[in-house]
Amino acid sequence: MLSKKYWLAIVTAVAVLTMSGCATEVKRMGVEEVKDLSGSWNDTDSRLVSEEMIRDSLSGGWLERYDSTSSKAPAVIVGRIRNLSHEHINTRTFVADLERAFVNSGRIDVVASKAEREGIREERADMDLNASDDSRKEMGNEAGADYMLIGSINSIVDATDSEQIRFYQVDLTLVSIANNRKVWTGQKKLKKNIKEAKFR
Amino acid sequence: MENIFSIMPRLFTITKRWACLLRAFMCLLALASIATLPGCATYSAGFAKVESAAANRDLNGAIKSLDELKLSGPDELLHYLNKATLLSFEGNYAESNRFFETAKQLMEKLNAISVTEQISSIAVNDTMKAYEGLPSEQLMVYSFEALNYLQMGDLDDAAVEARQFDVKQGLIAANNKGATYLSGAFVRYLNSMVYEAEGEKDDARIELKKALDGYEAQDSSFPVPHALRADLARLSAGKPAASEVVFILHNGLGASVDEANIRVSNPAYSPGQNKNMMMLSLAVPKFVKRSLPVHHVVLSANSSSVTSEVVEDVNGIAEKSFNDRLPAIIARGVARMIAKNVVAKTAKDKAGDNLLFNLVADIATNASERADTRSWSLLPGNIQMARLPLPAGKYDVTATYYGVNRNIVGMHEFKGVEVKRGRKVFVSDYYLNPPATPKSAN
Repeated sequence: MLSKKYWLAIVTAVAVLTMSGCATEVKRMGVEEVKDLSGSWNDTDSRLVSEEMIRDSLSGGWLERYDSTSSKAPAVIVGRIRNLSHEHINTRTFVADLERAFVNSGRIDVVASKAEREGIREERADMDLNASDDSRKEMGNEAGADYMLIGSINSIVDATDSEQIRFYQVDLTLVSIANNRKVWTGQKKLKKNIKEAKFR
Repeated sequence: MENIFSIMPRLFTITKRWACLLRAFMCLLALASIATLPGCATYSAGFAKVESAAANRDLNGAIKSLDELKLSGPDELLHYLNKATLLSFEGNYAESNRFFETAKQLMEKLNAISVTEQISSIAVNDTMKAYEGLPSEQLMVYSFEALNYLQMGDLDDAAVEARQFDVKQGLIAANNKGATYLSGAFVRYLNSMVYEAEGEKDDARIELKKALDGYEAQDSSFPVPHALRADLARLSAGKPAASEVVFILHNGLGASVDEANIRVSNPAYSPGQNKNMMMLSLAVPKFVKRSLPVHHVVLSANSSSVTSEVVEDVNGIAEKSFNDRLPAIIARGVARMIAKNVVAKTAKDKAGDNLLFNLVADIATNASERADTRSWSLLPGNIQMARLPLPAGKYDVTATYYGVNRNIVGMHEFKGVEVKRGRKVFVSDYYLNPPATPKSAN
């Protein structure tokens, strides 16, 4: 039979192994730190897209062309970014980055989207009844947009049981609301090779 | 070179340890049988409660009973699948999809092999392996999720499910060559509607063609849906879709899997061995079809009405899948019983006249032998679809359920369904056989 010493060692090892999984562990990470867990679309993909789109849109010729014909900054509204990929992707993350870059550049105005406007209009209507005369904002002074940002995420997946190639293509386009002309198109492509674990 | 006499004490020690290990192994088997037996009873008894509450439309009660089952460990996936189904029946589509997503992630994870589980399934029984869902069940998850999204009016996310399904079905078909019943014809039919609503008419037409091929190839117990052929002809002619209400019924419950004991000849038996060893007793799963409560549905609004069509024979597909898996289950069972018998015999030989140990060894060998009776219990027996074309407007839509004797067995009204021009609106319901009346206690 196993001696008491062995039994004690086994019990201790089992206890240590069991208890080590009990406590939740949280480790802070830098937002630019890359950590891929499942291979699905994640924060790094979103960041890579927003970096590329910001760089491309702010340096694109469309802004210079607009500045040469107008004294005011162009106003952009965010339209529909269609997810045509194989994953449930939140497009708001990189679109919000782009909006922020436009506003902070001081060269592009961003106007509120359709859903955001509804809330603001409700507030303005409420002000009509409840706010003081000097702080009340009138209806009918909203800034109209010159351009609408639209786009899509597409993906191609080639898969076997043990390996996948995932290709993503993000396309964004600025369309002139006045004449439907596309003044800027940005594109970012990402490709991943995911190898599934054979054992767990 | 060591003298034989010098290694005798070491050999003696090794033999003693081997006997200890065998005893420990038999004790483990005994413990496994003790753990398995009440677990199985609780599972089936508990699930009857879930089904009974769902049949009485007490979905909160059904969810509570399911939670009380505490399906975890190797049964974790069953918890997610069944909970997601109940939440979908309840109309809590977002939460239902959260559970379906968790189920999908777990299924992906379970694709990898667990050595521990493989050993346990050979040593004890198949229920020691994590339930990863039958291929047909894995495909159905996508249709449930897509339908949830459609009922939330979220076409984009329904289309994501359609694209994911295409990849998954390709993988499953490649791994199950010749299993034409895994074409996912119904899911593709549903997906064609999603693609068309998204404006992807080419994708819709291709999906419809694949669905048609799938239905024809899978040798169904029902004809190819007439509405599918009409859609394909319309899309091929480049004509737009009519506005309509699409109703989907989850009809009854899919088959239950019971346990049966069979005796097979022992391939490892040799003359001279104990005659009791000539045959092996195996516990194998047994497929039990349940009757379907609804024969057809009539969907009506104002003066318009339409009769449903069967679009998926879930029972039939499950049966084909079961029959395909059975030979491998039996082969594994034979290998397991041979191994168990050898271990038990060796252990008993070592134990000599220890009657208690011999008894434990016999119990452990036989009682630990359990069939894997797990399945996604709340899947329907079949799925029916009724498509009612209506001009744009708001309607109270009624689904009337007719039983096998053409008598009305139930009804469900959807109030204020808004139909938009050129659009489809999706509604769904489920109908289960009323629970059997409990027998009196005398």
